[in-house]
Amino acid sequence: MKRILAFSLLAATIVASCASTSTGTPQASGSSPTGQHLKIGLVTDIGGLNDKSFNSLADQGRQQAQAQLLVVTSVTESKQQADYVPNLTKYAQDKNDLVIGVGFLMQNAIWKVATQFPNVKFAIIDGAPTDDAGAVKNLPNVANLFFKEQEAGYIVGVIAATMAKNKVGAAIHNTVCSMGGLPIPPVDRYIAGYQDAVKTVSPTTKILNGYSQDFVDQQKGIEIGKSHIAQGCDILFQVAGGSGLGYIQAAKAAGVYAIGVDADQAAVAPGTVITSALKKVDVAVFQTIRSVRLGTFKAGDNSFNATNDGIGFGTVDAIVPADAKAAATQALADIASGKITPKDTVQVK
Amino acid sequence: MTWEMLVGASVLAATLRLATPIALAALGGTMSERSGVVNIALEGSMLVGCFFGVVVADRSHNIWLALAAALLAGLLLAALHAYASITLRADQIVSGMALNILALGLTTYLDYEMYGTTGTPSDLVAVPDLHLTFLNGIPYVGTAIGDQNWIVWVGLLLVAALQVFLFRTVLGLRWRAVGEHPRAAETVGVNVRRMRYAAVLASGALAALGGAYLSLGVAHSFTDGMTGGRGFIGLAAMIFGRWTPVGALGASLIFGYGNALSTSLQGATVGGVRLPVQLLGTLPYILTILAVAGFVGRSRAPAADGLPYETEGHA
Repeated sequence: MKRILAFSLLAATIVASCASTSTGTPQASGSSPTGQHLKIGLVTDIGGLNDKSFNSLADQGRQQAQAQLLVVTSVTESKQQADYVPNLTKYAQDKNDLVIGVGFLMQNAIWKVATQFPNVKFAIIDGAPTDDAGAVKNLPNVANLFFKEQEAGYIVGVIAATMAKNKVGAAIHNTVCSMGGLPIPPVDRYIAGYQDAVKTVSPTTKILNGYSQDFVDQQKGIEIGKSHIAQGCDILFQVAGGSGLGYIQAAKAAGVYAIGVDADQAAVAPGTVITSALKKVDVAVFQTIRSVRLGTFKAGDNSFNATNDGIGFGTVDAIVPADAKAAATQALADIASGKITPKDTVQVK
Repeated sequence: MTWEMLVGASVLAATLRLATPIALAALGGTMSERSGVVNIALEGSMLVGCFFGVVVADRSHNIWLALAAALLAGLLLAALHAYASITLRADQIVSGMALNILALGLTTYLDYEMYGTTGTPSDLVAVPDLHLTFLNGIPYVGTAIGDQNWIVWVGLLLVAALQVFLFRTVLGLRWRAVGEHPRAAETVGVNVRRMRYAAVLASGALAALGGAYLSLGVAHSFTDGMTGGRGFIGLAAMIFGRWTPVGALGASLIFGYGNALSTSLQGATVGGVRLPVQLLGTLPYILTILAVAGFVGRSRAPAADGLPYETEGHA
């Protein structure tokens, strides 16, 4: 009896831990009777499909492709970094036409698997294949999907600076802030663009920046937020994933404003989140799948930016005045036309 | 760098906020190990406390029900550990680790099933802060403790109460006897199994209160794995605090202070050189090593800690 109970406890553990790693089942789109279905596999990063950001956006791109293009897609979640190579290999062996890896942490895993399967196409979001020595080695079968985060940061920076300058609503201290998870390039590019916009639009506005040293821990984000708010910040831009949700919560508790990142985070705290800097991972995934379908797949660096709808800004809250919103729309157009080139290095550290 | 950045009132306030979840986990660990059961499933109890507190807050809009659900969830996870380690006499580390994985898998899975990619609702009922308005005029103190969450104060009360309980009451003496020499305790009529069950269940509920603090008191939401290892840091604080509630609180405050400094010192310069944020991130750990090496000396675990107990004559 005891043994049976002990066993069922163990079994329950295994079932529960596997449940969260279960793969989505491939579903045929079946909408078009002609042509051959392409097989597409998506491997997420350790954040999981419900990270409300990167992985969930990539998955949206996959689902959109499944609905609109003649493709059969499936997705596998990585629970730890050691899963990257087996997950990518599984899809390559399954004769997928395109295997997509989410996140720059997969750079080495993509290199390992793509060199073994030269006939399979790969794409990696936010990274490029990197060999064991840490050197970038572009491969003829790998597309590197990069984003101009500084452009998205610039656009939301225009909104923040306009509101700070005109002292709109709770933004009375003419001070705007940002918080990154870690000082790594994709994070710092957002912050660089944000600061560049503030310096351009409203040179007198004070700028602060900090790092939570974490992409998961909400309490760390809240502490940085409280510290920034105590120093007069009333517009807080988060670039720290789950930890950044804490930064938004700090703004909400203090009755000041926040700006979301990557995905549209308006629903996280309505009335607090004035807009979001969008990195359209869904667009990048969809476009890349479509490029395989059309035979226009391009190995090496692919840039997603203002010119190809790769970046943008999210829902704008009602508190944002029309002139700030118009300025952001204008900035997006000016970046797309090349009139403005946002900086990509952080000025206020 | 200024004194304000090192010992300012806001740094002390942050220290208390950051120490509270660690201290509650450490308190749970202390209660369990004092009875002779190692419970490394504290992290898991904390996480299910975070999650089920939020779920019931969302469904019932009643903070008391939400808190009760959080404690019950932590307690139930601990009950599995108690059954495995006391009744089945399984390896306590293996059982604890399995339950941590269970808690992470279960909460991640249910979070996705229930809240999908949109996240938990933004209008959750929450545990409020306690605004001590009479402290407002007092410099330093008002900022440091005037706006702490209710659970911070409950945690401090629990530390005092459990310190008295363990070391000043008969039941506390029996509790500790079971952890030091269960056979001797049993010969004088103490029910070792019942005592250990009570201890493990209490530890799960205490850790879950720490979890409820994070999700219902601080973040007002749930995100996957949001405890971020605080249950394990709590175990370190327990050892560092020499298996006493007051010691555990002291150790947690040091961890909390290190974390608070890594926020307050951002942007600080020493002799014109900026302190790198990566270095500041290591502060909590450096402080811990210094404290353990310099001040604590050797700490001794309860003699029967982690050893399954077999009743005499029971083969």
